[in-house]
Amino acid sequence: MGKAAVADLIKRTIKWLLLAVTILFLITGFGITEFRVVETITLGWLSKSWALRLHDNLWIPFVVLLVLHVCLPFIFRQKAREKEL
Amino acid sequence: MRRISILTVTLAVLASVLLLGLGGCLANNQTNGDGILEPKEVREYQGENLSSVNDFRENSIKGPQYVDMENYQLEVTGLVANPVSYSYGEVVESYDSYKKVVTLDCVEGWSVRILWEGLLISDLLEEAKPLPEAKVVIFHAYDGYTTSLPLDYIVDNDILLAYKMNDIPLPPERGFPFELVAESKWGYKWIKWVTAIELSDDVNYRGYWEERGFSNTGNLDEGFYD
Repeated sequence: MGKAAVADLIKRTIKWLLLAVTILFLITGFGITEFRVVETITLGWLSKSWALRLHDNLWIPFVVLLVLHVCLPFIFRQKAREKEL
Repeated sequence: MRRISILTVTLAVLASVLLLGLGGCLANNQTNGDGILEPKEVREYQGENLSSVNDFRENSIKGPQYVDMENYQLEVTGLVANPVSYSYGEVVESYDSYKKVVTLDCVEGWSVRILWEGLLISDLLEEAKPLPEAKVVIFHAYDGYTTSLPLDYIVDNDILLAYKMNDIPLPPERGFPFELVAESKWGYKWIKWVTAIELSDDVNYRGYWEERGFSNTGNLDEGFYD
């Protein structure tokens, strides 16, 4: 696997992880404010206390993934340009 | 010419909307549907700004409860020598009332500072005469919600059972007829629509949210997770 393919795989993985974390962030947020609905929909799996716990901690992976998602394409492009030169 | 008429119509519509809105606001603030003046909440007490009764977020387990007052009784039961049961009027009229400005802090991140008025729970308990083995007070609500607090905390901190907030009777959405003012505790300890106060020796008793992972002490200066 070439370097470009690895870079592409990393970018894609981060993109999908960021999407998953964002969705989870939203669901857990609703799990706090609309806990009656979310508890029913998730068959009691996502209780308010769990939603709070997850929501409180999800900002860390969210910020890390967001920064990587924004910065990595620049870094990879820069490296590719340096290689060309 | 056409431009002027469009402008005139737009202004007329805006003015009508404004007047209707203003009329609606005045009607809402001053009278109920029958034209009877309704009590207005205070927003300042002894120089301190208060939140509004509308600043709460509705987060009860089964939505607002409209308690059937014809059959309502507040019971004091469990480990007491003299189990008692009161109507709403008996509670409000038989005991001295006290006022306190206390902030309710919800685990969801919002808080409200309210002037609470009610009776001391210790006064109610005095009448029921708790037995020496009673250590915990379990509160039961109309919607099945429960929570508990140590008996010592209730007595030592002059904890109120409120029937008024910001000088108006508790609205049904806020816990009419009674809400517990569990100061220095997280919001899930502030039980609304209280129907029974049970004394128990079960120090490990866990209420509705406590059973679902929230701290049993509920102290504000600690985290709310177990």
